[in-house]
Amino acid sequence: MVFFDLEPKSTGPSKTEYDVIIVGAGPAGLGAAIYSGRAGLSTLVIEKNIEGGQILLTDVMENYPGYGLINSNELAQRFKEHADMFGTEFDYGEVVKVELAGEQKLVYLDNGKAYKSKVIIIATGASPRRLGVPGEDRFISKGVSYCAVCDGAFFTNKNVAVVGGGDSAVDEALYLSRIAAKVTIIHRRDKLRAVKSLQEKAFNNPKIDFIWDTIVKEIKGTDKVESLILQNLKTGEIKELPFDGVFIFIGLNPNSGIFKDIVDVDENGFIKTNEDMETNVDGIFAAGDVRVKSVRQVITAVADGAIAATIAARKYFE
Amino acid sequence: MAKVLNNKIVNDLKKIFSEELEKKVKLLLFKVDDESVCEYCNLTRDLLEELKEVDERVELEVYDFNTDKDVVEKYGIERVPAIVILDEDGKDYGVRFYGIPSGHEFSTLIDDIVTFSKGPVPSLSAETIEQLKKIDQKVKIQVFVTPTCPYCPRAVLTAHHFALVNENIVGEMIEANEFMDLSMKFGVSAVPHIVVNEEHSFVGALPEANYLNEVLKALK
Ligand SMILES: Cc1cc2nc3c(=O)[nH]c(=O)nc-3n(C[C@H](O)[C@H](O)[C@H](O)COP(=O)(O)OP(=O)(O)OC[C@H]3O[C@@H](n4cnc5c(N)ncnc54)[C@H](O)[C@@H]3O)c2cc1C
Repeated sequence: MVFFDLEPKSTGPSKTEYDVIIVGAGPAGLGAAIYSGRAGLSTLVIEKNIEGGQILLTDVMENYPGYGLINSNELAQRFKEHADMFGTEFDYGEVVKVELAGEQKLVYLDNGKAYKSKVIIIATGASPRRLGVPGEDRFISKGVSYCAVCDGAFFTNKNVAVVGGGDSAVDEALYLSRIAAKVTIIHRRDKLRAVKSLQEKAFNNPKIDFIWDTIVKEIKGTDKVESLILQNLKTGEIKELPFDGVFIFIGLNPNSGIFKDIVDVDENGFIKTNEDMETNVDGIFAAGDVRVKSVRQVITAVADGAIAATIAARKYFE
Repeated sequence: MAKVLNNKIVNDLKKIFSEELEKKVKLLLFKVDDESVCEYCNLTRDLLEELKEVDERVELEVYDFNTDKDVVEKYGIERVPAIVILDEDGKDYGVRFYGIPSGHEFSTLIDDIVTFSKGPVPSLSAETIEQLKKIDQKVKIQVFVTPTCPYCPRAVLTAHHFALVNENIVGEMIEANEFMDLSMKFGVSAVPHIVVNEEHSFVGALPEANYLNEVLKALK
């Protein structure tokens, strides 16, 4: 279906120094922007792609309060428009470096721009984790994918594997089942971790099959993906099965690389915060999927953002 | 004629164009009429007609891919639908769209229109501009996208802004679904997938400096 999404990057920021800079315009960043703007703080959100973050990786949301079932693009756009309401400004580019200069924080973008602020809220979210098996790097865009909404169309009527058993994996398998001929979920346990309602949809979907207790050892092919080498963890048995493509959703890596030397992170790189979303550095907060937490959802990301901005306003601008 | 853009988008566009547009911008559309040959040509025409209605600074010229041979050749158009953006004086900077700019790529088109209306001035770092200016051979950057890919607009805009800097550079959005043969030729199955001079390719919306490095690799 043809649709038109209008999220232009044209309205540039008005200055180079702000009270608060929010890095990332996913749910956490936009939630923070609403609270920061409403608290009267001059606020800049910097986003490298388009507003919405991982919301845009699924076609509908069914667990965000107040909407029932909502188209993901629409939810993202509503978040953005809500932030606009309170005068938040936006700029587009990838933040590649952050420096501390006394009370000031300096933020550098890949396109050469730079900004200053007193407070930074890190809301850079997370990206799909790689499997780390032979063949994975070689076959990216040759059958290996991490984004079903982006790449599903290339597998029309094809035979694809989905690796993982959480919400995202099952969500993406359901999405792919509308396009592909057959979808096989490969999961290393004997049951899914995804929520019950998603599980039921998957179990009742005639196009979706399951291979349990199994991990991918290798992705094989000549010019593109042709098969997966699988190992059953219970029996140790190894077999090779043919697939045209493999979608990998085994978990998340925090987008925290550029902050690692500045703030404390855990062994997986997630940023450590207290319950007020404060990192160990004065004036630097983290919110959403990028921080250490146990429930990574839109609603919790938005809430983190609200907390970070509210505490920032109280502590640094009262 | 059924409307392509809904009222909300039209109203949002009115606001953006009235606040942002400065000079005129010229869109050239290349198409064929036969929908069995080009599924999205007529829809793309309707879309651009509606954009033109929104603000008089957006001008549109429509050409037939089969009969307007001289114009097709002048702009090196390879397939349809194709959109070329020109500045007020009709100058071509090598900014191209192949396939309908729908989904998230609609925003890319709007961004380009605003950029052209304001100059066009590339939004790139001084170092990148300096390196791009040195390129003295033809460079074609083809960015394969799908309308639902949230990482793709950035990859297209980077190619388009590179094109603004140097006349040797052409930056093309290619809607992968519409040109499946081309996608297959370059083995595209994840987007954004960027092909430089039909030789070197890379995947992902890389930061500017890395993107530039990948483009330069094709020249060595
Ligand atoms: C397939 C899938 C389905 C999901 N389904 C649901 C669901 O149904 N319900 C639900 O509640 N949750 C769902 N989620 C989870 C939810 O999307 C995330 O928890 C939420 O988006 C996290 O928000 P965030 O703002 O912390 O991070 P993100 O959404 O990851 O946003 C981070 C933003 O920061 C930007 N960014 C990163 N680094 C930089 C940088 N250096 N400079 C500038 N910008 C940067 C990114 O481009 C991105 O836009 C799903 C996730 C996936 C992958």
